[in-house]
Amino acid sequence: MPSPEQLQTLYDLSDNELYEGAVAFLHRIVDEDECMPLPASQVAGLLNIANASSYAELDHFIRHQLERNWSESKKDIKVFYTELDKELKDIKKKYLSSFQLVQTGKSVKEVNQETDELMALLAHDFIQHLMTENMFLLAAKVDERAKRR
Amino acid sequence: MKQEMQIILEVNDQAELFYEDAIQIGDHAAYVLKARHRSQMTGLENVAESALKVSDVLDYVKRQTARFSYWRQNFPASEDVNNGSGSYEIFGERLKKYLEDTLAGMRDAICKDKLKINDKSEKERHLRRRVYLLLIRQFLRQVVIQYEYRVSFGNTKKGDNAHAVPGTATNAVRSER
Repeated sequence: MPSPEQLQTLYDLSDNELYEGAVAFLHRIVDEDECMPLPASQVAGLLNIANASSYAELDHFIRHQLERNWSESKKDIKVFYTELDKELKDIKKKYLSSFQLVQTGKSVKEVNQETDELMALLAHDFIQHLMTENMFLLAAKVDERAKRR
Repeated sequence: MKQEMQIILEVNDQAELFYEDAIQIGDHAAYVLKARHRSQMTGLENVAESALKVSDVLDYVKRQTARFSYWRQNFPASEDVNNGSGSYEIFGERLKKYLEDTLAGMRDAICKDKLKINDKSEKERHLRRRVYLLLIRQFLRQVVIQYEYRVSFGNTKKGDNAHAVPGTATNAVRSER
């Protein structure tokens, strides 16, 4: 269970880094890689996993999704999960070490458990920001299409 | 304690400055949500009051904008009784931008010039987040009050009055037409 101080640090990270990071990530995928936003069914699935699972389970789910044999029409989903996998690894590298969330003087098992808990919280917040931006973009695209008709 | 008092005073001072903007966005809310979607405004206020992070409020605004088409309506100037509230931007985007840009700018100004808080230490980052959340709560309270005022007593074109009972201001306006 993260300490109150760790939670405060996570809240600051979420506001100052993860929120903007999630918005930039999605725009990179949509604008530069020219992928469609994630469809609603995938959004619901990813959010459920992010809300209820440990980081190890979330990581397993993302790897499963990116290794699936997606049809040509759904190849954007593969790109999305491949990029998300990289992004979460970056987040782990950047924030777990530089913000010293993991306290020293603990056994390896305890440190691993704490790392998993903190990463689950970081990943949850990142995915929550990512999915709301995704929904926001999807709605804008639907409105744009309706206007063109 | 002294610093906490100073933060509250500075946020209240800023509230005087953004009052006019809150009126305009409150009018926009009344125009698009009307009285029948009051729960959207109370929901927004509740999220802001209980949020631990600014991004929770921004995510809420984006989620509602994505879910409900009335959050994606603009406010034509021709419908605007206050001259100046009209906006070609959709409601959700306008509100999000205000919270993300204008209020963030106010937070920066208060923290730098008045409170002498930068973002170098953890403690300072927590304080900046607190100032930002207080500004958002204050601003949204004003927006909700204006929304309530407009849908209750304002121009029915905007508010789709829900409280219209004989003898109220709105009915008096109607009977004069």
